[in-house]
Amino acid sequence: MFKRLTRWWPLPALIILLIYPWIWRAPYYHVLGFNMLLFATMASSWNIMGGYTGYKSLGHSAFFGLGAYLVALAAVHWGWNPLLSAPLLALVVALVAVGLGWVMLRTSGSAFVIATIAMLLIFRLLTLNLRSITKGAPGLSQPLPPWTPEFSRMPFFYYMLAWVILVVLTSAYIRRSRFGLGLLAIRDDEGKAKMVGVNTTLYKMLAFGISAYFVGVGGGVWSYFATHISPVFAFDIIVGVEMILMTMLGGLGTLWGPVVGAFILIPASDFILFNFGSTSIHLAIFGALMALVILFLPRGILPTIKDWIAERRAPSQAHAEALTMAEMQAASERDLALVDSSVPKVKSGTEQANR
Amino acid sequence: MMASLLSTEKLTKHFGGITAVEDCSITVQEGSITGLIGPNGSGKTTLFNLITGIYKPEAGDVYLRDECITRAESDKICQRGLSRSFQITRLFWDLSVLENMIVPIRHTGLRALFGPGMFHEEEERALALLKRVGLAYLKDQPANKLSFGQQKLLEFAAILMADPEIVLLDEPAGGVNPSMIRFIMDLIRGLNDEGVTFLVVEHNMGVVMELCDHVLVLDQGRKIAEGPPEMIQTNPAVLDAYLGI
Repeated sequence: MFKRLTRWWPLPALIILLIYPWIWRAPYYHVLGFNMLLFATMASSWNIMGGYTGYKSLGHSAFFGLGAYLVALAAVHWGWNPLLSAPLLALVVALVAVGLGWVMLRTSGSAFVIATIAMLLIFRLLTLNLRSITKGAPGLSQPLPPWTPEFSRMPFFYYMLAWVILVVLTSAYIRRSRFGLGLLAIRDDEGKAKMVGVNTTLYKMLAFGISAYFVGVGGGVWSYFATHISPVFAFDIIVGVEMILMTMLGGLGTLWGPVVGAFILIPASDFILFNFGSTSIHLAIFGALMALVILFLPRGILPTIKDWIAERRAPSQAHAEALTMAEMQAASERDLALVDSSVPKVKSGTEQANR
Repeated sequence: MMASLLSTEKLTKHFGGITAVEDCSITVQEGSITGLIGPNGSGKTTLFNLITGIYKPEAGDVYLRDECITRAESDKICQRGLSRSFQITRLFWDLSVLENMIVPIRHTGLRALFGPGMFHEEEERALALLKRVGLAYLKDQPANKLSFGQQKLLEFAAILMADPEIVLLDEPAGGVNPSMIRFIMDLIRGLNDEGVTFLVVEHNMGVVMELCDHVLVLDQGRKIAEGPPEMIQTNPAVLDAYLGI
């Protein structure tokens, strides 16, 4: 029963999201909903790299900004529809990420984090200074969407909802694939993963590219949503920090953690802005929240709840452990007793040489 | 006559002013269980690291079936049929026992990359190997829940999933109880009968003398002796290296 509930809960959640814009019709709620979905997409995407491989990028807003600028430039210069061009131009973002990843992923740990911040700053500087292309600090304006004002935000909401579904499906598929298993192995022990035959460089580069793709799409859609973009907002490190915070709050390396994190933090952020005004107090509160999450929910909300339920369902931890030890002994003896000629033999060297 | 499966030719590696391996040439015959012994700091693990691509030598070469693998990356060396264990057991601690078995499977191509985490026949093979080491009933447990002995056995079983031609074992009997040592020795011998070649670093001389059919001795990074176990036991150079007599 419990397992069935956990398997099907996304369905009612999806139905609620589908009717959300029709129940809360004020434009504010549509903007709030869009932002939740945008960050759910980007945090899930960041999680493919940061959560699965353990390589935590602080510069993912570089891909957000790059997606935003590519889509805006295509709309301004060639009249490309941003909602159609965003998934295409995000492929360019992914390719750029793979290229940069080839260099940056030679580092790890804090060196990788610093390299990603440097990447973000370089993109920001380039956008500020390549004025003939990007119009520099004042930024770029896009044409307004063609639909009537009362629906102005609704198409963005549903478009982003489709991307949340797509990124969650992609994330789930990766987790169940050998590729995903390789990424988790890299997170646990990269040296060992390499030693047992995992092409760690290829795996990390692919994960970085896929992770950048959905963030690039998010940036492209956001640029159309905002209609005006500038380097300061498009390449803002806070966007990347929020992706990380959402993922860590919900559950690093889990499927739904980043979505849950986005659905908590975006309304919380709005609440803080409404109550404390447009100061930067929300950043201080986010910083404190991050510290609290690391201290008290190091694995995030979803894994903590899962552990709590598992503990409640177990008759008693001590009893369960004692039972397991006894079972272990018996089962081990049973397994060893079963070893006979029916167990497949390892191929001989000659057989392998002939393969 | 047995053919050479793994050989090194004048391998040399220094760490700063310290000589770890010097001019070291060894040969491991196909189908053998070769022991690699030497006092602490004699360069055994460094030699393993040079063979498996963790370190690159300053001079010399490594050959696997006459193919030079000196500059190959560790993953490529593993894919060519050479696997190893570590002195301190290394597993993917957050993955389940079964997942630990699946990661080392030799596969290339898109289907293998983006296909399902494990195919049915792979799962069956993994379970059969786990059964062989007595761990099948723990297949869904995270590796970090296993006891030390179970971790050793899982590392061993996972190595075999890659279908290696030669396995380098770094102290397989280190830190395990006598009954487990006997079990591991029987396992190695059984696998050797099935065609797997072993190069074993071990400090437990009882294990080396009983298990190995050829022994190499290192001291200060150099090979000082080699031969059958009974000869090594009485070799003056070996006694000098170990006992200083």
